Amino acid sequence: MTGVWALLGALAVAGAIGVLLKVREGRISSRSKAVVPDLPAPVRDLLAPGVTLVQLSTTFCAPCRHAKVILRDLADRTDGLTHAELDVTNLPDVTTSLGVMRTPTTLALTSDGTEVLRVGGVPKRDSLLEALRPHLP
Amino acid sequence: MLKDSPVDPRGPRFSAWMTTVILAIVLLTGWWRLLAAQTVLFAMCAFISLKLNPWGHVYRYAIQPRLTPTTEREEAAPLRFAQGVGFVFALIGTLGYATGLTTLGMVATGFALVAALLNAALGLCLGCEMYLVLRRFVPALARPQ
Repeated sequence: MTGVWALLGALAVAGAIGVLLKVREGRISSRSKAVVPDLPAPVRDLLAPGVTLVQLSTTFCAPCRHAKVILRDLADRTDGLTHAELDVTNLPDVTTSLGVMRTPTTLALTSDGTEVLRVGGVPKRDSLLEALRPHLP
Repeated sequence: MLKDSPVDPRGPRFSAWMTTVILAIVLLTGWWRLLAAQTVLFAMCAFISLKLNPWGHVYRYAIQPRLTPTTEREEAAPLRFAQGVGFVFALIGTLGYATGLTTLGMVATGFALVAALLNAALGLCLGCEMYLVLRRFVPALARPQ
């Protein structure tokens, strides 16, 4: 009988995690407009004029591929927007200092290293463009 | 360790449904030998090759021919990592059931079932997305450069 309860519990937990992640997927969080003083060098090296979407990925991340397709296409069609992918599989210090827990996570950074927003999971194209609009030239 | 080529993403989803069913049977019956078999299967896929997965063969011969072909391919690395995460939970579960620590067995099997079900139903690989967190707690996961 305990096994039945364990099974029901596991199903409930899976349902809850599934709903939570679906709700959070692609959610944009705006950041305070302060320049991150200790922006890690591998990230800083990627910054281009305008706004750079720095996508943090790992070797083990299947959705990172979908995020890359969406972001690359968005950057190609938008003036002043660049997409760069950083493989952080072997760069735990970078993710720790940025407070990133999951991949893909995408940071929108201006050329001076100011983080304007970040997106957890696979971004939603239209809402991301909407949120980036005020920061684009 | 063999290097696997990218696969039709519907294969791993089918495989995840089968794993979900097996883990559900283990929870309902406490049949630890079945969980031990699943543990061996996880280990073979994670540490040797995904080609050793019998559900992959069932998918290729019985299901794939009936479906519309797809050009979409999924990289093998996340899939093998997921099998590795499954292996750890299934191993703890097997040891739990086999040594009489039934609660430990159930909890570990429950975790594996949650991950398998999320993978099957939503195509979500919890272990892959949370790799950064897992690595923080298990430094051995760090791969040589």
